[in-house]
Amino acid sequence: MGIMDKARIYSPWLYHLHCGGCNGCDIETLAALDPRWDPERFGIQLVASPRHADILIATGCVPKQFIPMVKRVYEQVPEPKVVVAIGGCACGGSLFYNEDPDNYAILGSPDLLIPVDVYVPGCAPKPEAIINGIVQGILKLAAKKKAAAPTQKS
Amino acid sequence: MVDMLFTAVTMLIMIPVALFAGILYVFLFRKLSARFQWRVGPVVSMYKDLAPLLGASRILQPLYDILKLFGKDTPVPDISRKTIFIASPYLAFICAFLAIFFIPFPGVPLLSTMEESLVIASYLLIGAVMFTILGAASSGSPWGAIGARRDIEIFLIYELGFVVALFSVGLVAGSLSLWEIATRPGLPMLILNPFAAVLLFLVIIGKLAIKPLDMAEAEAEIVAGPFTEYGGKYLGLFQLAKAFLFYDMVALFIALFLAPTLNSILWLPVYIIAVVVILFFITVMQVLHPRFQIAKAMSWYGRWVLVFGVLTAMMVLVLRFYWVV
Ligand code: SF4
Repeated sequence: MGIMDKARIYSPWLYHLHCGGCNGCDIETLAALDPRWDPERFGIQLVASPRHADILIATGCVPKQFIPMVKRVYEQVPEPKVVVAIGGCACGGSLFYNEDPDNYAILGSPDLLIPVDVYVPGCAPKPEAIINGIVQGILKLAAKKKAAAPTQKS
Repeated sequence: MVDMLFTAVTMLIMIPVALFAGILYVFLFRKLSARFQWRVGPVVSMYKDLAPLLGASRILQPLYDILKLFGKDTPVPDISRKTIFIASPYLAFICAFLAIFFIPFPGVPLLSTMEESLVIASYLLIGAVMFTILGAASSGSPWGAIGARRDIEIFLIYELGFVVALFSVGLVAGSLSLWEIATRPGLPMLILNPFAAVLLFLVIIGKLAIKPLDMAEAEAEIVAGPFTEYGGKYLGLFQLAKAFLFYDMVALFIALFLAPTLNSILWLPVYIIAVVVILFFITVMQVLHPRFQIAKAMSWYGRWVLVFGVLTAMMVLVLRFYWVV
């Protein structure tokens, strides 16, 4: 394993994308990053701009108004990237999702719009489960090589 | 000729030394602030069961961050002014990088024997920050623009303090060569003119965007400030520039104020202790303060820079006319 591959595993930066939902998962996600678990031990950091991120953490189900933003934020994350869906809403729409008749406001889980690599179910999942999900994400990230595509425009 | 060869060789050796010193300073800063916040921070020796996957130690964590960024895709926004946007990270990095040659290391004068090395170093250190602002302003992002504006406001204050602190020392030592200042016989400048030392410390806080003066980068408030649109290798270059800037500022402080430490390589342990103490104080500033509002920061920072600037100038008058000369 080259030093570049190692560096990719050693420093996964997260961007937290709140798609919708009730905020329960967001509170738990932030709880997973607090001093009690302290993921900075392993180089995991929460960053403020999607352009800096390696792992996109999506929580909640996507309201229809929010569809373009979800797509755009996903596209802004540079390759290689991994998406971790956190919570029942992000895994399958949960109680907000209605197939027939269609919910007038809510589209459903973000995997209808963007490719999701890791699912962490639960309403809301415990911080331990979220950290486990992030670790699975890191393992998937390790498997991905630098994308062949040149500079990405947005 | 031999002199020039020696300088060239020491300069080559200095590059990895300064890089690793910068990385270690950033690591120490992160580790110390983690300990202050009751956290563990980047682990020094990894837990046994995780070591095969996650590596034996994270002392080089900032280096891994930079390497990872170099291995990523690099987005360039269509609405940015591309030439400036792309050139800025390189220029910021080059400025911070070149400055390492004009600041002496224990026993190694490098280029600091030049007559105006103090002036050159100060210009390079100004450039490192200025190109960050330029890049942000050209990125076409509103968050970048807000970050750049905030950066400029702080920049105007600390550059004033920077010039006063640097030249006050130069005036008392009667030289603009950093090597001559650093190896000057007599009491260290920290004792002769403590106000200038406090002033330079305040400048370091501003230049490295340490809390309470990190409103330019204000994470999550204005996205990532000047770095909002930067990703991949350009962000990596900025992080590299930051590591070098960390090294530059700490080394400059020691060169100016802790005079005998640079006389010979045997002073290296004292140098290291001095570095740790300075980093400790920087970290204390970081963890004790919340982020200031921009207007509050201006009045707070402006006030203290002004007070210490005036005290420094008065001290210089006293020293220059009644003490050393
Ligand atoms: S999964 Fe549960 S806690 Fe999470 S956003 Fe949905 S409803 Fe809220």
